[in-house]
Amino acid sequence: MGMTDGLFRRATDSEVRAVVEGAPLKREDLELDISPDELMGGPVRFPGGIAMPVQVERVLGFGRSFSFWPLLFGLACCAIEMMALGGSRFDMSRFGMEAMRASPRQADGMIVAGWCSIKMAPRVVRLYEQIPDPKWVLAMGSCAISGNIWDTYNVVQGIDSLIPVDVYVPGCPPRPEALWEGLEMIRQRVKESKHAYDGLRRIPARDAIAEGGSDS
Amino acid sequence: MSAAAGLEKRFGKRLLEKTELRGELAYIVAPEDWLRVLSFCKESSALAFDQLDCLLGDHLPEREAAPFEVVAHLLSHTHGHRLRVKTSLAEGQTLPTVTGLWPSAGFDEREAWEMFGIVFEGHPDLRRLLTTEDFEGFPLRKDFPLEGTVGGRIRIDLRGKI
Ligand code: SF4
Repeated sequence: MGMTDGLFRRATDSEVRAVVEGAPLKREDLELDISPDELMGGPVRFPGGIAMPVQVERVLGFGRSFSFWPLLFGLACCAIEMMALGGSRFDMSRFGMEAMRASPRQADGMIVAGWCSIKMAPRVVRLYEQIPDPKWVLAMGSCAISGNIWDTYNVVQGIDSLIPVDVYVPGCPPRPEALWEGLEMIRQRVKESKHAYDGLRRIPARDAIAEGGSDS
Repeated sequence: MSAAAGLEKRFGKRLLEKTELRGELAYIVAPEDWLRVLSFCKESSALAFDQLDCLLGDHLPEREAAPFEVVAHLLSHTHGHRLRVKTSLAEGQTLPTVTGLWPSAGFDEREAWEMFGIVFEGHPDLRRLLTTEDFEGFPLRKDFPLEGTVGGRIRIDLRGKI
């Protein structure tokens, strides 16, 4: 397949020369939804070689979007539907997402599946912070979005009061298809290198600490 | 049921009340007899309740003199029978721990203390179990506000926790 050959092995000298001196590479060769010109974004020639600033992000995003590994982490009943999506019937391994990592250090993001109790909140924040950048967060179910009917002393009223969220999937619980749709949206954001934390100086949980602990 | 006969023979009038609903037997005892009755349940070979299924608290504010209740659900694997033992407590009244009989009572008693404020004397480790350590109040008491006492979206002090 041209895709993997073209993108993920080290380019040969002749290929680099081809790009620098007027690119005979064609869009079909790469099987990308952007043209090679756009992708390579006008290489900058230096005495010792070339540099391709900024646009490398797009290549990386393209690659990442096909191997988004979420954290293996469920909080409540919604996690059952998440497991269904991982199972053979809905089968998210079709999209390169089946490798749910049990360690945050190997994950690309997290699916907050279910209501988060206040005792669990520091652990959720810690797991989020342990995921290396870039990372994406999907809030699954009404509980993760807003606390749902649990307006109580023991439930975090929306996980976005602690960590920045990219995609919200409503439902109680959302069907696996809905979660799948949400993950497709995440993939789009991965491709475009957009993150919920863009433009934030601190995540909301750290803000709350700075402001004195409770309320936001 | 032989369990009933054994208990009644040993304690007689000290069993304040006996109820039976669909074959489920329950006795109410005074708090002073709590430990004695439960150790008899475990140690007598005719009863042999080797497992404490669960131990839980309850709050019944309409009973003004003794609004709290503690219920122990017992199960005997030897004889295959079950029993419930209950006791009523006034506000502030304590109960001896049964962790010496069934170590699994540790978590149950922690939860009953955390949720209702029922103190179990002699418990080795009476800490909060499901709520955070700085939580105030006993949330399953009927007069506790459901939304809690803190308010806001982050109902937690995260300092030093993450
Ligand atoms: S949204 Fe519904 S299914 Fe999901 S965790 Fe909340 S109560 Fe459970």
